[in-house]
Amino acid sequence: MNRQPRALLSVLLIGVIALMGWLWWRSAQSDQDDATQIVVNEVSTRGGTLVSSLRSEPRTFNRIVLPSVPTDLYSILTSSKLVRVNRATQEVEPALAESWTISPDNKTYTLKLRDGVTWSDGVPFTSADVVFSFQAIYDARTESALNEVLRIGGKPFVLTAPDARTVVINLPGTSGAGIGILDNVTVAAKHKHEAALKAGKFKGELAVDTPPADLLSIGPFKLTSYSPGQRLVFDRNPRYWKKDAAGTPLPYLDQVILEIVPDQNAELVRLQSGQLDTLQQQIRPEDIATLRPLEQQGKLRVIELGVAADADAFFFNLRSPYWAKDPRRDWIMRKEFRQAISHAIDREAFANTVFLGAGVPIWGPVTPGNKQWFNPNVPRRGYSLDRAKEILAGLGLTNRDADEWLEDARGTEAHFSLLAYRGNSSLERGAAILRDELKKIGIKVDVVLLEQGALLDRLFSSNFDSIMFVFNATNLDPAMNPDFWLSSGAAHAWNRLQKIPATDWEKEIDDLMGTVMTNVDPAERKRAFDQVQMIFAEHLPMLYFVAPRLYMGVNARVGGLSASILRPQLLWNVDQMTVKGSR
Amino acid sequence: MGRYLLRRLGFGLLLVFVVSSAALLLTRLAPGDIAAPQCLELSAEKCAELRASLGLNRPFLPQYLSWLGGVIRFDFGRSLLYSRPVGSLLGERALNTAVLAIFALLAATLIGIPLGIYTGTRAGIMRSIVRAISLIGISVPPLIGSLALVFLAARTGWLPVGGMTSSGGLELTWAAWFADLARHVPLPALALAIPMAATLERLQSEAIASASHEPFVAASRARGVDRSRSILHHAWPVSLRPVLGLYGVMIGSLFSGSFVVEVVTSWPGLGRLMFDALKARDLFLVAGCAATGAFFLAAGTLLSDLLLAYTDPRVTTGESR
Repeated sequence: MNRQPRALLSVLLIGVIALMGWLWWRSAQSDQDDATQIVVNEVSTRGGTLVSSLRSEPRTFNRIVLPSVPTDLYSILTSSKLVRVNRATQEVEPALAESWTISPDNKTYTLKLRDGVTWSDGVPFTSADVVFSFQAIYDARTESALNEVLRIGGKPFVLTAPDARTVVINLPGTSGAGIGILDNVTVAAKHKHEAALKAGKFKGELAVDTPPADLLSIGPFKLTSYSPGQRLVFDRNPRYWKKDAAGTPLPYLDQVILEIVPDQNAELVRLQSGQLDTLQQQIRPEDIATLRPLEQQGKLRVIELGVAADADAFFFNLRSPYWAKDPRRDWIMRKEFRQAISHAIDREAFANTVFLGAGVPIWGPVTPGNKQWFNPNVPRRGYSLDRAKEILAGLGLTNRDADEWLEDARGTEAHFSLLAYRGNSSLERGAAILRDELKKIGIKVDVVLLEQGALLDRLFSSNFDSIMFVFNATNLDPAMNPDFWLSSGAAHAWNRLQKIPATDWEKEIDDLMGTVMTNVDPAERKRAFDQVQMIFAEHLPMLYFVAPRLYMGVNARVGGLSASILRPQLLWNVDQMTVKGSR
Repeated sequence: MGRYLLRRLGFGLLLVFVVSSAALLLTRLAPGDIAAPQCLELSAEKCAELRASLGLNRPFLPQYLSWLGGVIRFDFGRSLLYSRPVGSLLGERALNTAVLAIFALLAATLIGIPLGIYTGTRAGIMRSIVRAISLIGISVPPLIGSLALVFLAARTGWLPVGGMTSSGGLELTWAAWFADLARHVPLPALALAIPMAATLERLQSEAIASASHEPFVAASRARGVDRSRSILHHAWPVSLRPVLGLYGVMIGSLFSGSFVVEVVTSWPGLGRLMFDALKARDLFLVAGCAATGAFFLAAGTLLSDLLLAYTDPRVTTGESR
């Protein structure tokens, strides 16, 4: 009998202790807040260490073999490009090539390399390194991911080096992307890797277990240590070629540390506690509110980068054989069915629920974030349940029994399964919204969350009804993403790797993309791509609902920022970033 | 004793073999492989070439047999994710996990056992408070516990919120490095130790309460031995058997199942390695991690059995059964 009062007393005591602890902690916090005054934007001009995060470990340091987020970041820190596409302005800038000329037929680029540039071991960088880099890319044994990108009509570029500072690049055809196509090229040191390439072992060069002293740099930093599972430490490369407008050698920072933090929540907490200066990528919309108080205290800045260049996409399997024996084949592959779905989705509500308001409605794969290529005139099939039902009725889908779902004339229920990537909160929420919204017009959606490998397996084997997925753009120029647009492309997800275009409209897009990819007249290219977007919006092989606004969290001690909507949003310009004070 | 040890060793080897083989088979059977993200940008031919170069197109049986042949020579294959030998990855990560596990086990023991003895032999308000706290400790999953501790560390600044060493740790002397490590250990170690300490407390409490009522404890009291001495010298050793039995499982789970805490606190240990390997479908690395986890589980069980044998010699001869 005396147990209950005792238990009650215990709970009360714990409560009192917890309350006292809370009060004491609050008072300690306010003391701490008063003591820490960080002035935003007051930055030192030189020195210091910047600490950023990296969500996954590098598999190799060889970007020629495998471009990936960690390898790209390593490359930005330790390498330089021949020419660079400025991620903030999208303009092509000189880099290792200080100037270039283009032949009247637009098929020959003559690059003049910068004088006095050396690798971090002191060996001069010459045209032989550029020619060697292309040899490495085109060598089949390298299995380079760039091999297919740096071709026109399937044919490789031909390079010659008349002298140590001149490189002549002969293209097999004209390139719509122009000289900017060279932004993709990572240069490799011939004197270091020539023997490996001759032996067919270039693929294994720059492996992650290579001693840092053996890794050459021609970029602002060089790797000095790699602790697997913990961090990569980069020190300033004193031989870096770039100077600022005042002639001060870059980079400004002494050191960059990439802390490997696999968990996004832990990453955010480390930013809040000041252990990280910035993150590898944008913060989630739901995390913005947690950073605002620190922003008000002057410890952090939340920077809005603008509308993202890529958004979550929803698409059906448009490969005919998949539906051949399916009773839903009469309506599920029809463009009208997809148009009805577009009408059924309230994009404002979608933005509010999935991105907590930090998103803008979109009507195609090119978002307003891609200012140069966005076509604002594409048809918009806005929210209208009546219009959606009308279209579905036109397809023969009406409610023919007592339940809440539509049926076709044969009695087949209007339903499909939707696969989404487990672990991606916006995709998970987006799939749930889609299910709920389509229920209102009588379409039943079974959402199945799969882990990424399993989802891709279903995509590759075309074993799916529909998928919700996000394709990350690495370049804003559509000519650099032919895999998505061309019917023969691997990322043409609704019907991949077609030998000949399956539909007339896909053939039309293929033809127009030919203009975008090979025509050198910017106006012609834009006109052709506007037309591509119009066709896309009419047939809706992929439906897009909302593009998120991107936000980055940055410690107030960081300066020299030039933000981009493309990854890495801040570190792409790391040689001009600064920090205030030591850590 | 020799036969007993041999039997236990044989069981351990069988466990390692079965668990690692099953891990390899299940990972192979799961849809998708490590080449999938790259294949999203490659033609069918290039994707097939990539899979072939990674050995993913080989039938399972030859692949398994060649892996098994390597394992006999302590060659666990090569990780496709890290392009490094699996053996070296396991070695460095197991060491990191061992540091964490030892501290967690130590903390759990130092907190759980004394509190268990206290609550098992006393009555009163303090006992109820400890029991209530241990109930909370046992109920909170490691994910929530580690997130709460990370949050607390971030807000107070008392401890680093993650990692094994500080960013500048590489330039430190050994003594300073050790001190730095000592600052990073408490958070993940506590996240692991709290539920274990609570479990130990409850088990120890029940065991010692039961042992306290044994006739030999009453006899010792009748001989004039004071209460504390009677509990510590007579009741406690007897009560240890179920508690020591738990240690085998705890050691195994610490080495193989602490991935949630390791991911949240960015601790570069075996659990996180296994998590990354599973996500990427890195066949040999998954099998290697599973084998290491099973090895530690077997070693932990053996250790606890030896401790049991030490405290209760009937265990080795089977008399207690």
